[in-house]
Amino acid sequence: MDEIINKETAKKLMEIKGEIRGMDLKSDANFVIKERGKEILNKVEEELKEVGYPVEYEKLETMGFYPGGLRALSLLAVKKALNFNDEKIREMGSHAIKVSFIVKIFIRYFSPISKFFFKETPKIWNKYWTAGEFIPVELDEKKKYAIVRVKNLNLHPIYCLYLEGYFSTFAHLVTGAEEINIEETKCVFRGDQYHEYLIKWK
Amino acid sequence: MEIDKNKNEDKISILLEDLDSLKSYIEDLFSFLPLPVCFISPIGVILETNPAFEKISGYKIDEIIGKSIEDIFAKEKTKEIFKEAEEKGFVKTREISVFTKEKKEIPVSLSIIVRKSKEGEISGYFIGLFDLTDIKTYQKNLEEEAKDLQDSRSALINILEDVEEARKSAEEEENKTLAIITNFADGLLVFNKEGRLFLINPQAEDFFDVKSRDIVGRPILELATFPTIEPVVGLIGGEIKGVFRKEVQIKENLILEVSTVSMMREEEKFGTLIILHDVSREKMIERMKTEFVSLSAHQLRTPLSAIKWTLKMLLDGDLGKITGEQRDFIEKTYKSNERMINLINDLLDVSRIEEGRYLYKPILTNLESVIQFVVNSYKEEIERKKLKFEFKKPEKKLPEVRVDVEKIKLAIDNLLGNAIRYTLAGGEVTVSLKCVKKEIELSVKDTGVGIPKDQQGRVFTKFFRAANAIRMETEGSGLGLFIAKNIIEAHGGKIWFESEENQGTTFHFSLPVKEKFKEFLKEF
Repeated sequence: MDEIINKETAKKLMEIKGEIRGMDLKSDANFVIKERGKEILNKVEEELKEVGYPVEYEKLETMGFYPGGLRALSLLAVKKALNFNDEKIREMGSHAIKVSFIVKIFIRYFSPISKFFFKETPKIWNKYWTAGEFIPVELDEKKKYAIVRVKNLNLHPIYCLYLEGYFSTFAHLVTGAEEINIEETKCVFRGDQYHEYLIKWK
Repeated sequence: MEIDKNKNEDKISILLEDLDSLKSYIEDLFSFLPLPVCFISPIGVILETNPAFEKISGYKIDEIIGKSIEDIFAKEKTKEIFKEAEEKGFVKTREISVFTKEKKEIPVSLSIIVRKSKEGEISGYFIGLFDLTDIKTYQKNLEEEAKDLQDSRSALINILEDVEEARKSAEEEENKTLAIITNFADGLLVFNKEGRLFLINPQAEDFFDVKSRDIVGRPILELATFPTIEPVVGLIGGEIKGVFRKEVQIKENLILEVSTVSMMREEEKFGTLIILHDVSREKMIERMKTEFVSLSAHQLRTPLSAIKWTLKMLLDGDLGKITGEQRDFIEKTYKSNERMINLINDLLDVSRIEEGRYLYKPILTNLESVIQFVVNSYKEEIERKKLKFEFKKPEKKLPEVRVDVEKIKLAIDNLLGNAIRYTLAGGEVTVSLKCVKKEIELSVKDTGVGIPKDQQGRVFTKFFRAANAIRMETEGSGLGLFIAKNIIEAHGGKIWFESEENQGTTFHFSLPVKEKFKEFLKEF
């Protein structure tokens, strides 16, 4: 899919089924303001308006549900308006989890890790999304790695980057490890059946 | 864009709105809270903070979330406190340091509540902090102030100790001084700068027949009401003028020699000391001596006068013709007798002077004629010694002076007689008379033997004769200059001299005219 925001891309994205929580979209605005100030957020909103899907981030309800395609569309608008690279998109994912209200709700389940990983993480996904499926595949606390999958959500490659940042910081908060490495080993946009991430920590 | 919200279930929608409101409320509460709070995961990772925590730590939320608790707090202390929190479920107000992003150390009071799951497992820790910086600063300031106060107190105690030591020292000095004053042989009166009697020693109490308690604190003029003190007050006056060794008769057998000394401290007068030295005994002895001399002289003069007239009769042939050899012997005897009479006369003059009985009868006189009279009496002697003599008179006529002619003659006679006597044959003697301002000055200059330097200080004392004069075997009682000085000073004049051994001597005296002389007259 084209990484440049335009009406065609927007239309395709908005046709994707499923909804995302408002807080995830609001974290984009939060990051933009933190990075460049409030003025630049207007530019992001202008981009969205231009492609036919105007959004006023402040008016989004944190716990409300919004079209899932808006998740990728917001990232594309930010990328264009602020001329972000991939790393910055990952940072947005990382930032989102740090300010996530849902994550804070699940904090009480962080320990023990194994129980949290296999039992609670799918629930967190479901708190965000009404589409897709988060599958915790493997956890090895001794070797310090984990494998997770996201199935049935073919949103946009920019969201793959976003999830890398998101999962990476999630892993850091849960394990307390200083160094986290994440790799998307499988991706639907590369012809795989699902997205798969290998997360390692030291 | 028309956002297609899921409104299938109204209840769900209401719940979502409530949840949103609740989240907003929690966030506002969290943000509003002025105390730094954070939530820590069971493995010690910071998962949530509020703005106050961001402010105290210096980290932004993105930077602080995910940090280990040990990056923020002191490691060992943190472990200790968390361990206690796990055991008790909470910890309250433990002092610990927060290490900020800028590596600053901020003292805080830390409280922890352990959060547990339904199963009783630790799911994290709520931490609340209270910034102790202001309290610590205040405490430090207080400690410093307390230390300063302590230092000041110590310094003050030291000063007090020094003052006490100085006081003791001063007291000792005062006691010593008081002991000296009390036991001093002379009487002492100490007046303060206001002229009030401050102290009187026992000796002075005896002199004045008074008690310290009756007179201390009184002004000097008030002391004049005491008959015994009155003579002293009369001498020094109300302003306590400076006097040195002035004699005052206090009562019949008590004569005091009074001296005043200004007491100064750093160039400021703070009082006056009056020293009273009892000279009664000295005066009595002196008087007895004078009386003895006077009596002896009178007793001697009568037979000497008889001898004189007898010898005169022999020399005049009234008692028969005498041989040449007999004349020589009788003439020598006559001269010796004359010298003895002169000596006796001098002694009588001295006695009168010392007894205050040397009476003066001043009359207005032309001094030049008085001098001329004396000069004439020495004409033969001058010629005999072949002296070059000159009497320098002033061109203008001098004003008349009021003098006792006989006494002034005697004074001039003593000066001129000495000049002629101690000038070798062929020498020069010059008498000069002049008027200087309001004084008449007489000078008698000779080219005689002079007075040795080391003896010049005693020239006007009784019986003084210079060593070189004695060697000349000349006549002289050593009383002439003493008498001359007393006569001149009794006229309100001055007498002085210059002399160089083997070069000569010049004696001067001056007598006042007009105003000064009027003052002098008052004394008669």
